[in-house]
Order: sequence, then structure tokens, then C-alpha cells
Amino acid sequence: MIDFFIGLFLANLIVSLFTTRLHMLILWYALNSLSLGIAALLIGQNLQDNPMILTGVVTIILKGFVLPYILKYLSKKFDLKRQIAPNIKIPYTIILVPAVIVFTFYLSEPIIGGMGSHQNYVAISIAAMFLSLILMLEHKNIAPKIIGFLSMENALFLLGISATDGMPMLVELGIFFDLLMAIVVINLLFRKEEIQNV
Amino acid sequence: MFNFLLAPVLILVGSFFDIKKVKFIMPLLAALMFVPLYFSFGKGDIGFFDNLFILDNLARYILLTSVVVGICIALAMISLDKHVKIDEKAYKNFYRFFALFWIGLTVSILSNSMGIYWIGLEMATLSTVYMIKTNSTAFAHKEAWNYMIVGAIAISLILFGIILIYASAKPYLGEDAIKFSVLLSNVNFIKQRYMFELGFAFVAVGMFVKMGFFPMNLWLANIERASFYPVAALFSGILESAIMIGFFRFSLIAKEINYSHLIGFSVLYSLLTLFVVSFLLYRVKDFMRLFSLSGIEHMAIISIFWISGAHFAALLHFGAHAFLKPALFISTGVLESGGKYHIAGALRGYVTLKGRIFAFTVGALMLSIISLPPSPMFFSELYGFGGMIELAKTSHHMLLMLGAITLLLLFLSIIFYKFIEVYQSMKYEGIEKEKKVYLSETISIVVLMFSAMVLLLPQVFLFLKSIG
Repeated sequence: MIDFFIGLFLANLIVSLFTTRLHMLILWYALNSLSLGIAALLIGQNLQDNPMILTGVVTIILKGFVLPYILKYLSKKFDLKRQIAPNIKIPYTIILVPAVIVFTFYLSEPIIGGMGSHQNYVAISIAAMFLSLILMLEHKNIAPKIIGFLSMENALFLLGISATDGMPMLVELGIFFDLLMAIVVINLLFRKEEIQNV
Repeated sequence: MFNFLLAPVLILVGSFFDIKKVKFIMPLLAALMFVPLYFSFGKGDIGFFDNLFILDNLARYILLTSVVVGICIALAMISLDKHVKIDEKAYKNFYRFFALFWIGLTVSILSNSMGIYWIGLEMATLSTVYMIKTNSTAFAHKEAWNYMIVGAIAISLILFGIILIYASAKPYLGEDAIKFSVLLSNVNFIKQRYMFELGFAFVAVGMFVKMGFFPMNLWLANIERASFYPVAALFSGILESAIMIGFFRFSLIAKEINYSHLIGFSVLYSLLTLFVVSFLLYRVKDFMRLFSLSGIEHMAIISIFWISGAHFAALLHFGAHAFLKPALFISTGVLESGGKYHIAGALRGYVTLKGRIFAFTVGALMLSIISLPPSPMFFSELYGFGGMIELAKTSHHMLLMLGAITLLLLFLSIIFYKFIEVYQSMKYEGIEKEKKVYLSETISIVVLMFSAMVLLLPQVFLFLKSIG
């Protein structure tokens, strides 16, 4: 079951690379976060780790629902461009994505060798980080770049729960707090008349 | 622990009142940070919350420098609206985010947990984004977004590295593996050294990006150019302090894991940065970029000294830079009053007493930053090169050290030449036109200059040696 949700997490991220509509991109981000949150819940349940279960719940609520809602609200409020054609052509992205994933599995082999469990999840989280970077790079508009940054944060969260069996609770909560602050700052940065120029 | 957050919290509260009146008491509020710090001296290492936070001599020193800089920036901000166009709302927001920035960095500096260190740094990064934006130009808006994106990538790299380091040590040390002190005292228990080194490499690259090392040197210079001058002063005086304390703590652990890898990677990367920065500096035409690139140069020098084992030199250089550079950035508010590119005659036309004090101090700062005696940087470089020669004699890194010293001298001579040229142009060229200086900024830069000179006291030397 965990494998299924981790697969879904990666699949949602891959699809978001091909998306050309902003609201769809937000939806894929929400699904990406939702699958990650459920995976964290299940891993936490397997490890009997209550803090990780709590982190999973916070992830589902905050990143699966609250953040996508705020992003959609901001996109309407500031009338952001809905059409977000990526700079890298889709056929090239189709070649790039598997190449990144295969390369990541090769790259992470020396690291995951010493790990007992969740070896593949570590490789997937590193791949997700690279894919999020591609998402940030392939768009000129600021909104997809923000979603790329949030996806990167998701990838790091997966790395945290898979490589370390969960970071300390205080750190996880601090990261959530920073994420909320990031949204506040993004809201303050948006200005209708300037958005098109960025 | 919370005593140390009182000053920034009061500044945050103060920002909700009439800013035109409250701004005069902001430096006093900032100075409140001195009280808990003063009473902590001589008490050894103090841990808070199960040692998740620790006040050791290194944290004390860095906190002290950041407090002095914080007070002086709060002083300089009194006259901000006299030099730049800023509305009341933006002015308030500037103070608000300044306070949040300071809270984040205090948390980082006091943190003994890698995770909490990161949280503080991230909070400071996000606060800075809005401070850049208070300058309402299109250029500042663009650079604020750039900072948001690149800063986020840098901070993500640091978190990625921290997770790998934690993962490499957790099987042997448990949840305490998140603490710097536990990692340092139990390095031998870490068996997955490859993972640790990989993690450290990510952390170092993330920190180097935030410090503006190559290839991000132009990025940082552009941001400092786009924002109001107190932001650049905050970057050089407080943000870089928090990044540096992290670099110091992480590298002490990495040193025990594999010193050859650490020294090779860090010294070569720093030299590459110095190479690029020295030639870029040679071509600059405005004060802000000059000081900004010079800041990157000094960060590279501090890294090299620290990694080479010259801890005392690195700390002395760090302290001197933390005081001198913000003073120079604050002075740009006046120096650029005639326009961005008006270097010629920038030190002329100060007829009042405070104007003369200002011009004299800025001249002294310009010469101090290039390590002319009696600048503390002169002594830190002497001790630093001495430390590098000592390492060359006692280890198998002789070629690297001698090569590094030669290249350092070469690059520093280019920078020295440029600063002298700029100084001469400021003092002897251009037309003499009367300029206005405000009391708050004059006091601010004089206090910073005085603080730099205090570093030369024998008691300070002894204190710094106790850290190293």
C-alpha cells in the first residue's frame, strides 16, 4: 500500500511537468501532497511512530488542502496567467524524466546500500527533488516556480521520512511553520501590475 | 533562551505603532539583547531545552557581533526615509520583517540542533525577501523574486544535506544525532561516512550559494544593489554570521570524518570564488557592488582560514568583517546621494563637524577593509597565513597550502589596488559639492568602527583563542 502511494506521489509530480494550465498544476500539487501525507501516515503506522502519523495528518490538511486553496485564491485575486507553457518542449521532457529517474537510482546506490528499509523511497525522493528543480526551471512565470519550490519541499519531506524514519517532531513542525511563512511572503510579494513583468 | 528573543519581539511590537515616533526607540529596544548576553559571560556552555539550544563561546561571540550590528542598523534606519523614497506602510513592514529576520537568526545562532538551525535560517531568508521588496522599484521586485527562488533552492540543498547527515548518524546515535555537540563528540561511531560526506557537500554548497560564492556571486550583488542599503548591511553583518556559525559547526564534524576531502573541496571552491570575485571587483563602478563583492571575498578568506585550522584568525577576521562591512553599506546611503556611479569626490563636501567625522570614518573603513594596519583584518590575515604555513609544515597538504597562499596574495593584491583607486578617487577627484549627513548614521558607523577596533584588545584575543 505504501508503495502505491509513493508511486502516486511520483506520478503526480511527473504529470505536473507536462501541465500547461495553472489550476491543473495546483491540482497535481495537491494530489502529490495528499499521496505523500497518506504514505507518511502508513509508514508511521508501520513504525508505531505517533509523531510521524501526526506529521502525515498535518501534511494532508496543510499541503493537500490549505496550500492549494490559498494558491488558487491568490491566482484569482491577482489574475495570474492561466496558460503556463513550459520552456522545455514536452517530447524532450518525456525523454528527460525517465533519464533523471534512472540516473537518480544509479546515483543513490552508494547511499541506500547502508539503509535497512525504504531504500527505493530514498531514490524516489532524490528523483523528485531533481524533477521539482526541472519544474522550477522550465517555466518563466512565477506561479509554477512557487509550485516547484513547494514540490521540492515535498521531496525533502519524503527523504526525511524514508532515510531517517522521520525527523524529530519539533523540526517537522518548524518546517511547516516556515512553509506558512513562505505563503505569507509570497502573498505580500504579489502585485497585480508587476506580476506580468517578472 | 527567550531573553534573547525579547529585543526583536519588542521591535516587532513597536512596528505596529506610529513609526515616525517609535523609530527613535528601536535602537534602545535592540540594545536590550545586551542584558542577557552580558550576564551569560564567564558561565561556560549553557544548554536550553534538553540542549537543543546551546550558548557556548562561539555562539556568544557571533551573537554579540550580531547585536552590535543590529543596534547600529536600527540607528541607521532612523534616517532611511531621508535618503530613499519609502512610504509609512513599507517603513513599518521593513521593521516588522527586520524583527522576524533577527528572531530567525538568533534561533539559528543559538541552535545546537541541525534541524532548528535550518528553520531559523529559512525564517530569516523569507523575511529578507520582503525587506528587498520594500524598495518599490521594478528591479527590486524582480530581485526579491530571484532571492525567493534561488534562496529557496540554497536552503533546500542545506536541508537535503542535513537529512543525509542525520540519516548517516541516527542508526548509531538515535534522535540525538540531530545535535551538533553529540555528532562532534561521537564522530567515531558514524560508520556511513560516505553518506555523511555527501550530506556535508550539499550543506556546504547550499551555504556557499547563500554567501554568494561562485557561480552565485552576481546574484547576491544584484540583490544588494536592488534593495535599500540597510538590507545589504543586514546581509553582511547578521545573515552571513548565522551562515558562518553553521559552516563552522558542520565543518568541525566533517574535519573528523575526512579532513583531506574537506580541505580540498573547501579551499579550492573558495579560491575559485576569489579568482572570479577579484576580477569582477576590478570592474565595478558603484559602491554597493564594490562592497558586496568584497563581502564575498572576505567570506571566502574566513572559510579558508577556518578549514586550514587557523580558527583564531578566522574568528577575528569574521568579527572585523561583521563590523566594518555593515558600516560601509550604511555609508552608501550618503555616498550615493549624488547618484549611483558618483565615486569621484564622494568623500568631499562634508563641511559640518558630523560630516567631517563621517568622511574620516568612511575613509578609515575603506582602508581597514583591505587590511591596512591597524585594522583587525591586518592581524587576522597575518595569523591566518601563519596558520596555513603551520598546516603546510605539519601535514601532507603542503602543496595545497602554499598554492593557496600564493593565489590568495595575488587575488588580494588586485582587490587592494581597486580599493586604493576608489579611495583616491573619492578623496581627490570630482567636484566638491556640499552633502548632508544625519546624526544617526554617523553614530552608527562610528560605533561599528569602534567595535572593530575593540577586537584588538588583548582580552578579546584571549577570548577568541579560547573558542578556537
